[in-house]
Amino acid sequence: MTDSSITMRTSADIPASGAAGLAGVAAKEAVAAKPGGKGGGRRVRSFTADVSAVGEPALWAFGGALALGIILIAGFLFMIFYNGMVTFWPKPIEVVTMRDGAVVAGEPTRSGTYRPGDNVLARMTEEQRDFVEENGGFSTRTLYRTANFDLYGDDFRWVSDFEVADVQQPTDFYFFERQEWGPFVGRVAGLVIDDAAIAYDSAIMQREQRAARARFAAIRGIEQGEIGRINYRLEQERLSIRRAQLRHGSGSAEALATAEAANARIAELNAEFAAQQQRVADIRTIDRRNRVILEEIGGRTKDTELSQIVRYYPANELSILDKIGIYFSRWGEFLTTEPREANTQGGVLPAIFGTVAMTLIMVVVVAPFGVVTALYLREYARQGRLVSIVRISVNNLAGVPSIVYGVFGLGFFAYTMGASIDQLFYPERLPSPTFGTGGILWASLTLALLTVPVVIVASEEALASVPRSMREGSLACGASKWQTIRYVVLPKAMPGIMTGLILAMARGAGEVAPLMLVGVVKLAPALPVDGFFPYIHLERSFMHLGFHIFDVGFQSRNSEAGKPMVFVTTLLLLALIVIMNSTAIYVRNRLKRKYASGQF
Amino acid sequence: MAATATTNASDALPTDGDQQATAYHMKTSAEGVALDIRDFNLWYGKAQALHDVNLPVQKGLVTALIGPSGCGKSTLLRSLNRMNDLIDELRVSGEVVVGGENIYRPSIDVIALRKRMGMVFQKPNPFAMSIFDNVIYPLRVDGVSNRAVLEEICERALRSAALWNEVKDRLKESALGLSGGQQQRLCIARGIAADPEVLLMDEPCSALDPIATAKIEELMAELKGHYTIVIVTHNMQQAARVSDNTAFMYLGRLIECGDTDTIFTNPQLKQTHDYVTGRFG
Repeated sequence: MTDSSITMRTSADIPASGAAGLAGVAAKEAVAAKPGGKGGGRRVRSFTADVSAVGEPALWAFGGALALGIILIAGFLFMIFYNGMVTFWPKPIEVVTMRDGAVVAGEPTRSGTYRPGDNVLARMTEEQRDFVEENGGFSTRTLYRTANFDLYGDDFRWVSDFEVADVQQPTDFYFFERQEWGPFVGRVAGLVIDDAAIAYDSAIMQREQRAARARFAAIRGIEQGEIGRINYRLEQERLSIRRAQLRHGSGSAEALATAEAANARIAELNAEFAAQQQRVADIRTIDRRNRVILEEIGGRTKDTELSQIVRYYPANELSILDKIGIYFSRWGEFLTTEPREANTQGGVLPAIFGTVAMTLIMVVVVAPFGVVTALYLREYARQGRLVSIVRISVNNLAGVPSIVYGVFGLGFFAYTMGASIDQLFYPERLPSPTFGTGGILWASLTLALLTVPVVIVASEEALASVPRSMREGSLACGASKWQTIRYVVLPKAMPGIMTGLILAMARGAGEVAPLMLVGVVKLAPALPVDGFFPYIHLERSFMHLGFHIFDVGFQSRNSEAGKPMVFVTTLLLLALIVIMNSTAIYVRNRLKRKYASGQF
Repeated sequence: MAATATTNASDALPTDGDQQATAYHMKTSAEGVALDIRDFNLWYGKAQALHDVNLPVQKGLVTALIGPSGCGKSTLLRSLNRMNDLIDELRVSGEVVVGGENIYRPSIDVIALRKRMGMVFQKPNPFAMSIFDNVIYPLRVDGVSNRAVLEEICERALRSAALWNEVKDRLKESALGLSGGQQQRLCIARGIAADPEVLLMDEPCSALDPIATAKIEELMAELKGHYTIVIVTHNMQQAARVSDNTAFMYLGRLIECGDTDTIFTNPQLKQTHDYVTGRFG
């Protein structure tokens, strides 16, 4: 003890070390004073750093972990962003002539290496085999989007590079996007206008295609407008008959009278329905008289109604402005129309609508529920063992797999609550369920249940962080406990509560698994909002971007065709979540300011 | 200003058998006693924090509570408007009589009681709302909603707290934008807005600089007479400057309570003498 203390004192007393330290500081200052100075020896010193001497060796680990995380996230976002953004950019069409004389036309999608099998190697020349040998058994190939699914039975084709004799980009090749069967790659062999075959003329084709699309839109308008309305009223009449039967007995006078009146109206509606159908049929007849004959690379032709051509362009003759035009027109279609071709083509408007609507309903439900729970737990409940157990349970709920919530939502909300609602309010529609099956309301409630722990925990934290002195100040003014909470505690805690809601919203908007059980469908027949009373139909099933990604990417007939849509939809979902969160953050900051200078 | 006279009140008050008797030589107010603390004991769980405190707080005068940290000054002050109720496992015995009734009677309306007492805390604690809303908070929670009345009271309270000239043009702005001293004067304005009988101040200047402290002391001098003030302070000069009576507490007991001049110049007990001269320990 004594020895060591003496040693310490002596070492501290040695003036030399202190002087050296001072000299070191002086040297550093000198270097800092003239960065990039000419002092040779000193300059070398300034580039070396003794890591351990910095004092925080772990700093490098922390910084490295952060950097790794940022790189991963940035890389992920960049991949989504890049792939999502380039999807709609029109690509050229290449016509590939092979050594054996076969021809392939299509958009080059991507290239890759592969390991050719023995039968492929047998087709190669000696030279090519040596080349493959040198590359460790690998050769290269290119994936072409040949389209023409109706003729080829496939959308894509791999072409081995060694087989290619010639690649051209002929200007007479067009890329057609069709209402059905996906795209078509080929030439225009001829036009049929008013059942008269004429030679191809781009101006006529353009004019007639536009007219045909207008007719197509008119048919959709009649089907969704007039015919939709008639169908709705027919359904109402049928339901009124059923309702009367249930209320008065099926053979009673009232039921018979209602049925008679309703049947009269049904007959009227049926006549109207037939008239509308006739209108549609008339337009269809014109459609059938205006056709385009498409010819694929092999010479086979396809006689297609012009109204089926959504968009077409000469892929190898486009100026940059044309390309930009097509690009934005495709984005426009994507964001504002309904999907077609098993969701791999067309737009995602119903999915956008479903995602936003579901998230908003969820927030509306989860906010009061979570905040009230947190208020009770934090402000009113006697802090003891029971409250601790409740709190731990709430925290644990956040860790329950989301599919479990889906099962619960289906069993409790749809099959129990929904079935009871059907019994009470919609008996005339049974056995087909109204609320007794998955729907946007049940999906929102299920997600609310899933996210309520996040809100409770965040709200509790926010309430706990309101300083005791503020509460005391309010109580000392003669405020009751509720007044204190209402005027002092809640406003102060509001930004923290909003943060919890934002987290919950982000979690909820990105959740897919439970939704598949409680109301999300591949293709929803109608939006949850329409022009028929009561205008908002919370019992309807809906589409969701997350499920759309799953469906397009992994459930469609051709996953290669769906891949670009997966990226675009992912990009859109991310953008949507960012927009919703930014809005919430904006609202939170407004609240912060408002309560900082608050009025009652 | 109430008429005052120095008397020796010690024989009129009960004493504690096993402990040295509290020495009393208080200035008394002609208006009588605002708060009468009688045989007051307080326990936090099993620990007794206050022992048989007897203190008649004189109406219209400033009473300072001094003593070392942990001696029970703040606890005693917070017992006067039952702010200690917020603490679990709190037990009291004895009485605090305000206006003829014991505030620890079970049937007392605590909220009504607190409305009769303004309170200013150690740290300024304005609410996250506008200056105006802060001042009229006690009236708002009382249900007063007449704008004209509220504005008049707000101005009066801010003038009394010597803050009106500094904030009259920005009543709608957040109170959190004020300086520490202004915030504390705002809290005083809030404390007196509902025209309470008693103003309780818990080390109101401990977080403030000397200039702000001087302003608040001036303010107390102006307010006394109109309000009964009980102030807890660690600063003995402050106690000497602002108070009429000073109560010295030690280890939960009231040691000596009397006229401020006497306490600081000629205390009756040695403990008091040691404390006020800084030779404590």
